[in-house]
This record gives sequence, structure tokens and C-alpha cells, in this order.
Amino acid sequence: MRLIGQIAVNVFKESVRDKVLYNLVAFAVLLIAVSYLLGQLTAGQDMKIIKDLGLAAIASFGRLIAVFIGIGLVWKEVERRSIYSLLSKPIRRHEFVLGKYAGLALTLLVNVLVMTVAFYAILAYLNTLYPESIQVTWPAPATDPGMLRAILLIFVELLLITAVALFFSTFSSPFLSAALTLGLWVIGHFNDDLRSFEAVVESPVAAYFARGLYYVLPNFGAFDIKTQVVYALPVPWLYVVTTMAYGCVYIAMLLTGAVAIFSRRDFK
Amino acid sequence: MDAIRTEALTKHYPVGFWRPRAYVALDGLTLDVGQGEVFGFLGPNGAGKTTTLKLLMQLTFPTSGRAEILGRPVGDVSVKRRTGYLPENPYFYDYLSAEELLHYFASLFGYGAADRRRRVSDLLDEVGIGAERRLQLRKFSKGMLQRVGIAQAIINDPEVVFFDEPMSGLDPMGRREIRELILRLRDRGCTVFFSSHVLSDAEALCSRVAIVASGRLAATGELSEILAFKALGWEVVMGGLDDAVLESATASGHIDRATALGGRRYALHVPLSVAPDRLVAEFVSQGAELVSVNPVRETLEEFYMRKIGAVSRDRGLADVGKAPASSE
Amino acid sequence: MNLRTFLLLGVLAAGAVGLQAVHELNGGMPASTTANLLYVRSPDAMKRLALSYDSLLADVYWVRAIQHYGTTRLSIDPTTQFDLLYPLLDLTTSLDPHFTVAYYFGSLFLAEPPPGGPGRPDHAIALLEKGLEALPDRWELAQSIGFVHYWWLQDYDEAAAWFTRASEFPNAPIWMAPLAAVTLAEGGSRESSRLLWREIAQGVDDEWFRNEAARRLRQLDAMDHLDGLTGAVAAFEQQTGRTPSDWEELWRAGYLPGVPVDPTGIPYRLESGVVGLGDGSPLSPLPTGPAQIR
Repeated sequence: MRLIGQIAVNVFKESVRDKVLYNLVAFAVLLIAVSYLLGQLTAGQDMKIIKDLGLAAIASFGRLIAVFIGIGLVWKEVERRSIYSLLSKPIRRHEFVLGKYAGLALTLLVNVLVMTVAFYAILAYLNTLYPESIQVTWPAPATDPGMLRAILLIFVELLLITAVALFFSTFSSPFLSAALTLGLWVIGHFNDDLRSFEAVVESPVAAYFARGLYYVLPNFGAFDIKTQVVYALPVPWLYVVTTMAYGCVYIAMLLTGAVAIFSRRDFK
Repeated sequence: MDAIRTEALTKHYPVGFWRPRAYVALDGLTLDVGQGEVFGFLGPNGAGKTTTLKLLMQLTFPTSGRAEILGRPVGDVSVKRRTGYLPENPYFYDYLSAEELLHYFASLFGYGAADRRRRVSDLLDEVGIGAERRLQLRKFSKGMLQRVGIAQAIINDPEVVFFDEPMSGLDPMGRREIRELILRLRDRGCTVFFSSHVLSDAEALCSRVAIVASGRLAATGELSEILAFKALGWEVVMGGLDDAVLESATASGHIDRATALGGRRYALHVPLSVAPDRLVAEFVSQGAELVSVNPVRETLEEFYMRKIGAVSRDRGLADVGKAPASSE
Repeated sequence: MNLRTFLLLGVLAAGAVGLQAVHELNGGMPASTTANLLYVRSPDAMKRLALSYDSLLADVYWVRAIQHYGTTRLSIDPTTQFDLLYPLLDLTTSLDPHFTVAYYFGSLFLAEPPPGGPGRPDHAIALLEKGLEALPDRWELAQSIGFVHYWWLQDYDEAAAWFTRASEFPNAPIWMAPLAAVTLAEGGSRESSRLLWREIAQGVDDEWFRNEAARRLRQLDAMDHLDGLTGAVAAFEQQTGRTPSDWEELWRAGYLPGVPVDPTGIPYRLESGVVGLGDGSPLSPLPTGPAQIR
């Protein structure tokens, strides 16, 4: 555990030095610029649009980091051979893989936390610009803490994406890993279509196959409750908890696979 | 108990995508290295040196055979605690400084903060990295990285260290420093196993050597055993030597041949049958002065070429008999 | 960076700016007929393409819908049409079925005949029915369907049926049932129209709605005024036997306290005994809808 922690801290340190957290600046600039522009557009619905945008940006920046750092986590160490000296230290290969994963998870956690704070700060400021008569027509107050549920699930989704990227990168090139990860993420959003596939195909074999994929592929769509929280629709905690549990089990599965592959790997 | 021991260690790599064939990187290597030895593992590029070291570090897994370090199978964490490894052309993390890198590695051994600080600072002094230690490693030259690599290999006061081409990338000054460092390690009782394709490194350091070519062990043993140490005679360099004296010495068979170095200075090749001290005394009495006396023996280089040639002929391979890369 | 590189960069930058200026002087991009193009019209396809960004895309289409409506309405080109308004609102509400404002926007502006809107009450009703399917507990959507029947189609039976349905929602306001009854009994009356528009003005946080409702309420006031003025003209004619030539005549005869102005401050017009809105009044044209009935 201690070794995993030390490797994780090193990953975090490197990603901070690699200016990964600069995306936070981009996030703040984006939100501020858009909230200003919306005021000019007079389209109404400003608060909803800002919330939509903020949540989507938290997810998107996180996804970019999860995919593009995630695929490089292991690959870069192998490619640059820094792993040679690292693995000669008293660590086991699974500790290496898990430490790398934990390091990126830590980076993502800090990233999401800072973005969440900035997001609520901007919402709190915007809230002061609207009279109470308008505020009462909103489905939810500007700084509705219920949105934290969506952010929580976004974070679990990011952890899952990282695990997928890490898994692929233990045996394939970064380009291929990125393509596979993004592909799986997209397919994971069509998950509900796979379940109802039998309605559109004749062949029962194809329907069974699609249904099988529905159960096997990661259901990324399940983590997206942004719309619901923006409208303050009921999202039961049971749903949040079961989805998180699903994410954690899937992550555990991917990490086990990654460790299994990585532990047998030759470094040429 | 041997420090290092391999038994018929063999590694095949599959090559080719559609119809993979086995490329034999290492073929039945059996080797013992005693504790406290400085052991040279020699051979040209592509002979299997790095493959052997990776197998010993369990960066790759053997196709067959076994390897032990300090009496335990390789890859065992308790072994890794007591060993160190410098990879060939080491590379680390772009955004860490030398100091941070060593702190990181030291923390993997579980050293406390104070212990870490002292160790890191001593080590960086020892490998000759001064103010640059706070610089990020991406700004380091190859030679500097090599020094950092050596420092990280010995951060845990290892009982056995493995150096893969430790002199590569270093200037003559740096090579001498590393030579001295290896000798200090030996004096502390540390076993040093290093690979090199540069023979003078081995000559200056090793008690025993092994020579590999094309993945096979060509020879192993004490330098003196392998090198027909006493063989060929002496080389005596004298200054202020009269031509007449030289001619008479040549005529009497005391000198095989003489090479003029200019300014009445000569390099004299003296056969083994003549005692060089008497000859020198005679010349000195006639007004000459002694510059140097050296034994002439088969160099490691010549031996090396002979051995590689033999192995290559055995295996019917033409390409490995090429001269090893010249020293850097 | 040495001086030569610096100069080269400067020259290139100046060149780029200059060419852009030439481009601008020549009138910019050649006029394109594809400006009013919607690449993806199928809401189903768009929902799949959106991946997890459906809410945000809904916002984008909402902004596009507003811009399309605004620019078309302000446009002086008579050939421009609101042909994208329905598809844009349809996409918005498909991507985000909770986007209630988009349904209401459609109910107000899709049915209005040209030049103020596309004149498609059927689209307005289709959009609202889709909304009611997605949000079955919103009485406002049922009321809005009734409103389209009432105001634009003048089908009071249908309107009353929808108002009745709206009144049956558990959270419906108490005036909904009487509204249904009045509509059924009297058809379109100015009073029930006022009630509806006032409700719209207060119901939604949106400038478009408030402005539109305020305009409609003023129109209803203006129609009351015009009724009164027509009465005054008729009384004058009856008494003097001739048609008044201007307001001053009526004023001198004591029928009016002064020159009458509409709620936006523009004087009413009086021409050969017929009263109407003055030229350039933002209230014109007055609705041909139910408010004229009484």
C-alpha cells in the first residue's frame, strides 16, 4: 500500500509539472466567458445553460485527462525505459500498475474538486445578478447541492475511463489505446440501444449477441445524470450508489486484467 | 553462497508477425559470480549482455533455465532490496529533478525522511552532481543521466549491483571517477557485475570476466587465466640512448626491435628470456635514463577477437565476427 | 528571435490583416443560400450523436431557435421565413425533454401567421403534445394547447376541452375550471383572453414571453379603447348628422377629453368616420382572433 501511494504521488507530481492542471484555467475562462456571452444573447434560460455547460465541461476536461494521460501512464515508462530502474526497486509489478492508476485518480480528484469549487463560485456570483422574482421560476436554486450527485458520478466515470485506458495501454500502442478507449466510451453510450436490439433485428442470434454486449460492455450512459440534476428531478441515492458500485466493480475487473497482462510482459 | 548464479539461462524472442520464428538472444548461459567480486561481462553489441541483465532483473522472463541472486530466485522482492541496477542508457522522468528522483527511489526502499536526505545528498556528491541536482532531468545530458543512473543503482547500499555499460556516455574524467567508485564499492564488500563492450574498463577493474558472443558464453575465468598473462616480453622506453649502445644490444639479442620515438628516445621490445632490470641497469650506466617498463601480453582485445571468431565459426554465423565497436 | 525573423513575422502579420481588410471591403463571404440549413433534422439521430452532451446541445439548439426567430422577425427581406423554427424547437426538446420553455415558445410563436411567425398552429400543438408526453404532470402544457385552439384556431369547443383537462391536473390553479366554462359558454371573450395572457406574462422567466404578453395585453386594451371611440364617433354622427373629420371636432363637441392615444402613446387614427391604430404603432396589426368578437 505504501509503495502504491509513493508511486501515485510521483504520478501526481509529474502531471502537475506537466501543466495538466492548466485545464482548470481554461475551465474558469470558458465558464466566465460563456456566462458573459449569454447575457448578451437574451435567450433566457441562462442559469440552466451555465449549469449544463459547467457539468459538461467538468466531464469533458476530465475525460481528456483520463484518456490522454491514462494511455501514457504505463506506455511512457516502458517506452522511455524509466521502468527498468523503477522495477529493480523492491516493488512488484501489480504495485506499479495500481500506483500509476491511483496517481491519475488523485490528479483527477484534485481536478474535479477544484472545478467544482470554481463552478459553484461562478453560480453563486451569477445568482446575485437575478432578482428574486426570476429566481423563483427556476427549477432549482443556482447553487443547488444536488448537482454534486452528478459530479460524483462524473468522477466515477472518469475513474472507469482511466481504467479502460490503462488496461489497453498495457498491451497496445498509445494511438490504438486512445482509439479503443474512445470507441468503448462511445459504444458505452449506446448501451440502451443494444438492450433493445431484438426489436429491430430479425435474427435471434444477433439479438442475443447484442444483449450479451449490453451486459459485458461498460455502461457509460448510466453515469450521466447531468440533465436530471439541472432540473432538480429526483435521483434516488440508491441509483447513485448502485451505479458507483457498478463502476467500482468494473474498474476492479479492468485493473485485474491490466495487472495480469502487465505481470507477464517482457520489456525488450 | 554465490552472489549471482545462472543455470542454462535461455531467452528466445519471437520475430516476425505472420510466421513468428525464435530469435535466440541468449543460449544456455551458466555463470557463477562470487560475493565481493568485480565481474566483467563482456561482449560486442548484440551479444546478449543486456538480455542477461534484464533476465537477472526480471524485466524479461527466461524461455528456460534459472537464475539466482544471493541464493534466491530473481524477481524476489527481498532480493531487490539488496541489489541495485543501472540500465543501459538510463532515462527517468522529465519533470523531476535529480534530487527528487533519488528521494522517490529511496522512499520505495522505505527510508525515513532524514535518512533519505542524507543518503541522496551523499550519493549526488559521490557521482559528481553538484548544483545541477535541482534541475529537472529533461535538461540533463547523457553523461549526467548516466551519473544519476549510477546513484539510483546504489541508493540502498546494495550487496550486488548490476551496471549495464556504466561508462557509456562519459568523458575520460567521468570514466575514471566511475572506475574509482566501482573500486570503492568493491572495498565495501559489494559485488559488482558490469557489462561492457569496452575492454580497457575490464582490464582496469575486474577480478573475473565472462565473454559472451551471439548469446553464448565464449570464455569465463580470471583475467590472468584467460589472457596468457606472462606471455610475450617487455616494452622498455629509454631516453638519451646512444645509437652505438643500441646497436650492440640489438646485436647481442637482448632487444628484438627498437622503435625511435624521436629526441633519442626509443621503445625497446625485450624478449622474455632477458631480465629487464639488468638491461636497464646497463643502459643507465652508459648515460641513458629509464622512462617506463611494461609487460607485453595478449590484450583483452586480441583475445576477445580470437574467441568471438571461434564462437562465430562454431555456429556458422558470419556477422558476429565483426570487430567490436571502438571504445567511446 | 533575431531582428530578421521579427521583421518577417511583422510583415506576414501585416499582410494577413491587410488581406482580411480587402476581403471585408469586397463584402465578405459571398451570400450563401445555405445559411438557413439544419444538418441533422432527425431528433433521434441527434440524440444518439449527442453522447453525453444532450443537455448542452439542447441549449445550443435553443439559442439557435431564438436567434432564428429574432433575426427573421427583424428582417426586412420579405422572402425570409420561419421555416427552421419548428425543427429547431423539436431538436431542442428531443435532446432535453425537460426544456419546458421551448414548448411554450413554440405555443406562442409557431402559430402566429406571417409576417410575425410561420403560421403553423398544427406544429405548435404537435410540440406541446410531445411535451405533455414527456412531462405528464404539467398542466401548463395542456393549458397552452387549449390556448392555441382558443387564440389561433378559434375552436372554442376544443379549447374548452383542453382547459378542462388542464383543470383536472392535481396542481392546476383554481381559475382553470371557470375559464373552461366561460370559453365553452361565450367563445373567445376579451376577459378570458386577458386572463390567459396575464398568466403567460407571469408564468415563465423569459423576456420573450413577457414582452409578447405585454404587447397582447396592450392590444386588448387598445381594442377596448377603439370600441369606446367607435361609440363616440357614432354618437357624434347621430347628433350632428355628419362624419367627424378629426379628433379635434369630437373634442370640441365634448365627446372626448383630448386627442386619444393608444397604450404605447401613439395617437389613434380617425379617417372618414373609421377609427384605428395610428401609423407606426407597435401594436399593429391587431389580432383577428377571438378578442374581436366582443
